Amino acid sequence: MKTKKILSIALAAAMTLSLGVVSSTVFADEIVINYPTFQVGSNSAAPVVAELVDEFNEIYAGQYKIVVEDVPGDQNYADKIKVQITSGQLPPVCYGAGYKLLDMALGADLVVDITDAVNADPDWAAMFDENWEAVDCRDGKIYAASSESEKIGYFYNKELYEQAGIEPATTWDEFFANCEALKEAGITPIAMDTADGAWCTQLLLGAMIATSGDEGLEFMKSMYPTDYSIQPVVDAITRIQEFYTNYTTMDANGGAYENAANNFFSGNVAMICNGPWMIGDFSDTSKAPEGFADKVGVAIFPGGFVYDSPIEGMFVTKQDDPALEEAAIAMVKFFTSADAQQKALEMQGMVPAAKTVEITDAAKESFPLLADFIDQAAGASVSTATFTGGMVPGLEDLWSTELPNLASGAYTPEELCQILTDFATENAVTE
Amino acid sequence: MRKKERKWIVLFLLPVCLLFVVFFAVPLGMVFVQSLFDYRLLPNKFEFIGFGNYAKLFLRDPKFLPVLKNTLLWILIHCIGHVALGSALAFVLYKKPRGWKFVRVVYMIPNIISQSAIAMIFVNMYNPQFGAVNQFLKAIGLEKLMHNWLFDMSTAFPAITMTWFLFAGYTTTLVLAQCLSTDETVIEAARVDGASGFQIDRLVMFPLVKEMIGTTVIMAATYMLQMFSMIYITTGGGPGSATTNLPLYLYSNMKSNNYGYASTIGVVIIIVGFLTMRIIQRIFGMNKEEVA
Amino acid sequence: MKKHTSAGRRTAWFFAYLFMALCVAVAVFPIIWVILSSFKSNQEILSNGLSWPTQWSFDGYRQALEMAPIFQYFLNSLIVTVLSTALNVLALSMAGYVFAKKQFRGKNLLFSILSLSMVIPTTALLSPIYVTITKLGLYDTKAALVLVYAALSMPISLMILRSTFAGVPKELEEAAYIDGAGFLRTFFSVMMPCARGGIASASVLAFLEGWNEFTFALLLTSSGNVRTLPLSLSYFTSQFSFNYTAMFAAITIAVIPSIIVFTVFSEQVNASIVAGSVKG
Repeated sequence: MKTKKILSIALAAAMTLSLGVVSSTVFADEIVINYPTFQVGSNSAAPVVAELVDEFNEIYAGQYKIVVEDVPGDQNYADKIKVQITSGQLPPVCYGAGYKLLDMALGADLVVDITDAVNADPDWAAMFDENWEAVDCRDGKIYAASSESEKIGYFYNKELYEQAGIEPATTWDEFFANCEALKEAGITPIAMDTADGAWCTQLLLGAMIATSGDEGLEFMKSMYPTDYSIQPVVDAITRIQEFYTNYTTMDANGGAYENAANNFFSGNVAMICNGPWMIGDFSDTSKAPEGFADKVGVAIFPGGFVYDSPIEGMFVTKQDDPALEEAAIAMVKFFTSADAQQKALEMQGMVPAAKTVEITDAAKESFPLLADFIDQAAGASVSTATFTGGMVPGLEDLWSTELPNLASGAYTPEELCQILTDFATENAVTE
Repeated sequence: MRKKERKWIVLFLLPVCLLFVVFFAVPLGMVFVQSLFDYRLLPNKFEFIGFGNYAKLFLRDPKFLPVLKNTLLWILIHCIGHVALGSALAFVLYKKPRGWKFVRVVYMIPNIISQSAIAMIFVNMYNPQFGAVNQFLKAIGLEKLMHNWLFDMSTAFPAITMTWFLFAGYTTTLVLAQCLSTDETVIEAARVDGASGFQIDRLVMFPLVKEMIGTTVIMAATYMLQMFSMIYITTGGGPGSATTNLPLYLYSNMKSNNYGYASTIGVVIIIVGFLTMRIIQRIFGMNKEEVA
Repeated sequence: MKKHTSAGRRTAWFFAYLFMALCVAVAVFPIIWVILSSFKSNQEILSNGLSWPTQWSFDGYRQALEMAPIFQYFLNSLIVTVLSTALNVLALSMAGYVFAKKQFRGKNLLFSILSLSMVIPTTALLSPIYVTITKLGLYDTKAALVLVYAALSMPISLMILRSTFAGVPKELEEAAYIDGAGFLRTFFSVMMPCARGGIASASVLAFLEGWNEFTFALLLTSSGNVRTLPLSLSYFTSQFSFNYTAMFAAITIAVIPSIIVFTVFSEQVNASIVAGSVKG
């Protein structure tokens, strides 16, 4: 026992000593940008971020240096940034992602206006089209810059489609007929979920709402809507309830994205709604059987709909040291440059945020399914951001815990919509 | 002598009091102050509203009562069933049957594994399509009983209770330690007097370890009062609020950036906990002056 | 003792063994599940949790070690948890002793105030503790975690240690004083050894609390030199991708040493309890 104790104390002492040595070897006048990020580990963007950080540190050697702080898990990252917002001090560069962090940081007056820096560079300024403005700008001022776009349709299993004798649908009536045909052929049509915001389910739902007419489209285009009891939403949720009972797996109710994805990989279902980041997994033999990638086709939603919106980008926060803010702006510019977006596309098949970025042949070759999808998406007539993406903070969790009651039939669609409306009204974000 | 001793008493209490002040008292004060404000991040707000949050929670929040009921019910189940299970095992083991040491060590293992891992195992077992529970029912021909255990209103609560109910290692360890440190001559004397094994347990052992059982009951109560990760990973509190308890409700209000309201729930948790503890201490006759 | 077994006794023993067997089954199930899963593919884990792995591949372990700095985090965890446990048990032994054996004004009041810490929801404390730690200049240091974990285990240790010291016979303490030992020596060389059982129990609980804590570790640290093992598990599941094989491999790596340490340690605990009870 005693020797063990001594050993552990010695170990502790050694550790603290080595720590001191490491941290004192940093250059004296180099500005260090501490960058917490969730794009590490199993996150598909991890290799891209690592590469970009290395490049940046090389280009700006002696001047700026990014030190990455791993915050694995998107939700962990959002939680941590939120606590830091309440304490009034944020890391120099934050990534808004899908968590409304920009609005929260703006509310606490912690964000640097980068309008001048962007306008000083015509290439950068050219990226800011109306889609970007909706996401990254507030009151005519630029606060953030995006690096990735959320472009989403659905994937289908060509083999199972063939068995049922169907083709990807162009109208919703066809889509429902396809589901019926699949079901008759003994195939479960589509993967759905309810946990973690019910990602796959809400994609299907949002597509129905957006293509239902002007009212639905306007709803899908609005940020922080408060009225979920409007007819297009109720109708689409009624459909979703039918899907839960007739067209999906038993474990959809309660399942997370992982379960839905696994059902698609295993050939248990014929379709799944998800974005192109999933493409890499089709050839991952730990998740899908050998040769599965060749069986997958991609389509945009019926009614010529596709999700297409830049993901809320990186923003610079107010710091005591103006030089650090300068460094942070340089970093955001570097990470959202056309080169960086191109790299992300070629390395991991991430869809560029800026229309000015070209889809290169190299990318098309390594990700043929992605190229196919981007071609189809170019022909889409309607596009919006996602259904849960526009929700007021906290509503996504409520939606996720209430949905099982819709799936099991304990709620009527109207009841669920009313619950969403009540919460959104109570917690409305008035700007 | 007396004066000198007082100096030592103060010195001995100092570290604990410091820890308490820095990590409990000050934060607690901040939480209480926050509970008096309408404090949100989006839209950014910090407005004094007195006891407005409390009025809303007690009078106008339809979720509060079910959530409170879940919390209390879980505390009750845990304090009675879970502690009884752990203590029963301790009472079997202290008689030193063959392999008792092995059982004692092995029974603690689930408490060493991180809760998220245990939660994931149960999510997998309850999976309505592939899960072991439904597969088993199917295999023995009870297909009628197959359920979506965690996400059906009627089964969610008991299904989630099972994820922690059986792992009573702490209780067993503590009660057993107390049993083993009692004087064997007392038991021997009882046996000579012709008491049966059960009588010894009930009349001799139980009073001796009563206070330790009381301690484990308090631990069980606080464990359930703070229970979060297991529920968060399995059902997230759903379906509806069928499995939401107070800490989960607090967290969901933090996620909707309603910090003032979340703090209010925090204060309510403290009050509920304090009352629960008082009741338990009274039942077990604890916290009285020690009779040495 | 087991020689004269009547029929009734035999049934009693049968049920006792059955009960023990069930408890063991319940307890080993999760760990076996975790270890088996670390050898399965993601598909096998998700599609059939109970099946045997189709092939025994160590890919999960390789990936786990590649994706997350597990060894470094392991070492950090060890340092942080050992120190916080030591701090916690020392501080709480001192307080427990005073509460159990000494008389002073306001004792009961102080004790009830301190035991309030048992019921304070840690979720509510996240933001205040973050602010406190930052103000103290301890953000991203091991010291921050050591202090916070020592505080988090305070309530349980206080309960256990107070009742342990209360159980030490008064005569021993008095004898020490008569021998001329001062307050400090009585505590360290007479009282502490008598309370070994309780101290060991409290240490185990405090250690496990620190070893598995996630939220504060995430919040209060940022660099790899400080981060602890539970944080490494989130490397394997992010919103749209997952690697359960690697995650269960990481859990196995995390849990096997703890089980060994615990097994060895609990032998010590028992030895000391038994030794203590002989005199008791």
